[in-house]
Amino acid sequence: MSTASGLEDRYRRLLRCYPAWYRRQHEEEILGVLMTAARPGQRRPGAREFADLLWSALKIRARTVLRGAGSQPWAGAVTQFALVLPLLMVVLRVTELCVRGAQYGFGSPADILIGAYGEPGAYTRSFQLNPFQVALSGNVTDALTAGPLPWLALAVLVGLGLRRAAAALAACVPLAFLAIALTNDYTLAGGPRTDGILYACALESLALLASAGTAGGWQALRWRPAVLLAAGTTALGVAVNGGFWRLFPVPTAVQRARRLRLLGPGQIPHGFLDRLLGTGPGGLGDWLLAQGTLVALIVVVIVVMLVSSPVNRRVLILLAVPFALESVIYACSLVNPPLPAAVGNAIATLPLLVILLAAIAVSRWPERGAGAGPTGRPTTPDG
Amino acid sequence: MNDRPLREPTFLILTALAQGPQHGYGIMTDVERMSDGRVRLRPGTLYAALDRVVADGLVEADREEVVNGRLRRYYRLTPPGSGRLAAEVDRLRQNASVAARRLRLGAQQTGGPA
Repeated sequence: MSTASGLEDRYRRLLRCYPAWYRRQHEEEILGVLMTAARPGQRRPGAREFADLLWSALKIRARTVLRGAGSQPWAGAVTQFALVLPLLMVVLRVTELCVRGAQYGFGSPADILIGAYGEPGAYTRSFQLNPFQVALSGNVTDALTAGPLPWLALAVLVGLGLRRAAAALAACVPLAFLAIALTNDYTLAGGPRTDGILYACALESLALLASAGTAGGWQALRWRPAVLLAAGTTALGVAVNGGFWRLFPVPTAVQRARRLRLLGPGQIPHGFLDRLLGTGPGGLGDWLLAQGTLVALIVVVIVVMLVSSPVNRRVLILLAVPFALESVIYACSLVNPPLPAAVGNAIATLPLLVILLAAIAVSRWPERGAGAGPTGRPTTPDG
Repeated sequence: MNDRPLREPTFLILTALAQGPQHGYGIMTDVERMSDGRVRLRPGTLYAALDRVVADGLVEADREEVVNGRLRRYYRLTPPGSGRLAAEVDRLRQNASVAARRLRLGAQQTGGPA
């Protein structure tokens, strides 16, 4: 292998740090410059060149994710994430309300506002059982995290294309929660579904500011995957809230057979059909159905359909981020002996602050950069 | 249009293109020459900066040619790019003249060299 071709191979390997779209546009060009600038007899990239290329590749990747470049999937995914997240959260809240409300009662508007789905009278009860200040702060934080109002307002603002107002609201929700939580000595780490919602709000704010594509409101939404995601979210909401099966109890095959006097009592204890199908009281099939396995299967099918496109795949990754963060924080809360409350709070708050600081940094970037590709053309999400 | 001051490498890249289209290596050597070797752009930094000014509409690709089997892409300043560079030159000139005037006044007051 000649010195030049060895050096070229090493440069090419180094250039793989750049995103694929960038390499397609500039690899040969940069390689030409690198080879022209190389010293005679140079065999490998110098340390400074190495650091320079690596750092530039990182910057290009960060820019690709946050501001978009050409028709890159990440740019499209950030736009779609910002549009689809409020929609999905509204769908999830409505599903929770419908399923739990149908089983246990809907309650008053105040109950719904604080996210006490299927718990009629929860709002009034909280004031009866707790001092006013405690009940009030509890209800406000519940309304911020579990209630439908913030996401409904966000969905409206995003839909109208009021990007900055929506971003401000999305940032205010976790900040308001933090202010109340820290003044009332709440424990943040491990709160049920709280941290994930706060991270989701903060990420929504960041995505809205990073994506000019959302300025046009719902026009920028890719409806087919959004509807599929909404259907999946509905299914998931039904599954985690107990499933439809409790609403419509279906007699098992054996019960039907007994009712029709095809089987006598005790003739086939629990029945071979039960064993075969896993149905029947206490059977695995019944349990799986009650847990919404069928619904979860629908989710899997929808997810498989969605991951068929690079943009959709990335949207799913972005949607998983807040809840993955929540899982990490929750895992921290399980450490034995437990972490001091202040440490737990600091750990739970850190990702939130990082995301919000990133949102502030992005909001200070020049407006026209967002969503514009290297050629200055507006971003068109592909996939 | 963005009115923030241009960073020095960006200013020098636009200046390198002010006289006519140049390819990446040409810009690198020109910037080094213009800054008396003080600013030495490396290829990664150069292309990240070029990517940014192209996205901002200040620079555009002019033509491509292959020399010794290597691709060379030439870049040129766009009309908004020329305007932005001219505005930056005015801003720097104004700042420099204010600084020079104040230095002169300060020197007169202290009796030091102007």
